[in-house]
Amino acid sequence: MNVHGSVEVNMNIFQRLTKIPRQIIFLGIALAIIIPLIVPIGIPVNVMPQSEKLFNAVDKLGPESDAVLISCDFDPQSMPELYPMLLAILRHCFSRRIKVMLMALWPQGTGMAEMALAEVSDEFDVVNGKDYTFLGYKVGQAAVVLGIGESIWDVFPTDYYGTPLDSLEMMYDVENYRDVSLVISLSSGDPGFRTWVIYAQSRYSARIGTGVTAVSAADTYHFLETGQLIGLLAGMKGASEYEVMVQQRGYSEEFRRAAQGMDAQSLGHLLIMIFILVGNVGYFMIRRQK
Amino acid sequence: MNLSPDPLIWLSAFLTLCIFSFLYRDNPFYRFAEHLFVGVSIGYFIALNWHNVVHPNLIVPLFQEGNIIYIIPLAFGLLYFTRFIPKLTFLVRLPIAFLIGWGAGVAIPATFQTYILAQTQGTLLVGETFTRWDTGLWALIVFVGVISTLIYFFFSRERKGIFKQAANLGIIFIMLGFGASFGYTVMARISLLIGRIQFLLGPWLGIIR
Repeated sequence: MNVHGSVEVNMNIFQRLTKIPRQIIFLGIALAIIIPLIVPIGIPVNVMPQSEKLFNAVDKLGPESDAVLISCDFDPQSMPELYPMLLAILRHCFSRRIKVMLMALWPQGTGMAEMALAEVSDEFDVVNGKDYTFLGYKVGQAAVVLGIGESIWDVFPTDYYGTPLDSLEMMYDVENYRDVSLVISLSSGDPGFRTWVIYAQSRYSARIGTGVTAVSAADTYHFLETGQLIGLLAGMKGASEYEVMVQQRGYSEEFRRAAQGMDAQSLGHLLIMIFILVGNVGYFMIRRQK
Repeated sequence: MNLSPDPLIWLSAFLTLCIFSFLYRDNPFYRFAEHLFVGVSIGYFIALNWHNVVHPNLIVPLFQEGNIIYIIPLAFGLLYFTRFIPKLTFLVRLPIAFLIGWGAGVAIPATFQTYILAQTQGTLLVGETFTRWDTGLWALIVFVGVISTLIYFFFSRERKGIFKQAANLGIIFIMLGFGASFGYTVMARISLLIGRIQFLLGPWLGIIR
């Protein structure tokens, strides 16, 4: 009786482990996200080598260097991951007085770029046309990237606001990728960093760095290994690493949006790992008892 | 707590909660937000493409600046609509053929260079790689991983002996790849959730910055 009773109880426990109601799991995840946002734990952000490479590539530049071209190849759906990267990179560039050109291979990317410029440009007293240029969006994807390799003036005769490029001081010396020190594609799909690697890097030997959503990060590392990408920011973690580096070097004391979410990210992952372990333990124990 | 006075923030928060309500079960609030999103997205996309694509690249050069040559792409584009005229349907092949021809011509050499030549070059083991033990070790692992994975996808020979062992090793590398992809996917989804919660707790409720 005891033996049978004990087996029944164990079976119930293991079966329950494999059949936790999804609402309970969602509630657990929600709490794991909300609590550390309200009461930060302060888990340190370790900077990964690929993020440091991109940071150092920008950090080596200065006011006399060729401009950095940032392509906003994302839309509002990827904002939590890519928008903090854009802010951090802009702050890094503007604080070092590096000239910046912004453009987008996605039409929605123009809104992201314009919002980021509005947020950051006042902090550093930078002037449109002198310290940065917003080129906007141009249809054509690969054709746009190839076209810039020949002449950026042909692809973007005017900036986003309709001002001819020859009225913008910083564009006088920019003709094509030879006059661009670094291209950074903030990419959440295609067209995105792959378009830049395929057409700008392989054909024109442009130096490409990228910030990607975590979903596509695993497909990015092989470009890093071969040197086709000079640096990589992967998801919100990559964004928080860049924010931390910008703050540690004293370039900006502004609020770190991605870093704020990293405690929640860590706790969320921990809980998911626990759920996976619990589910597997339940599954294997049931199979064993059968 | 410092609630936002902005009605647009309240609207955003309401729609976010409508979508989250699906986590409990399907309901009219979720369906309302879902249909609204689809409608707004399509409307926004059409307007965005008109202002960013059609107007600056066709309307302005052809009708305002008088560049007659833009009639050619206009005509090519209009040929897509011959799909709705049964007798003229065959004409749709012209723009499609042009696009495929251009696309293949531009993409094939560049893609081959990027994905095959440069990647193969990066996989080769050369003396310089082994000047440091750690880079040498990683290069060796990458080399073994590439070869064993390629062997796994080689179906023209029966798997036995060392060939089978190499294919099995390839499976391990493939599984590691899937695991890394899945881990990153979880991270991405959690990040999106964090973004929404940051919005609800920040701009809407004013609990966090």
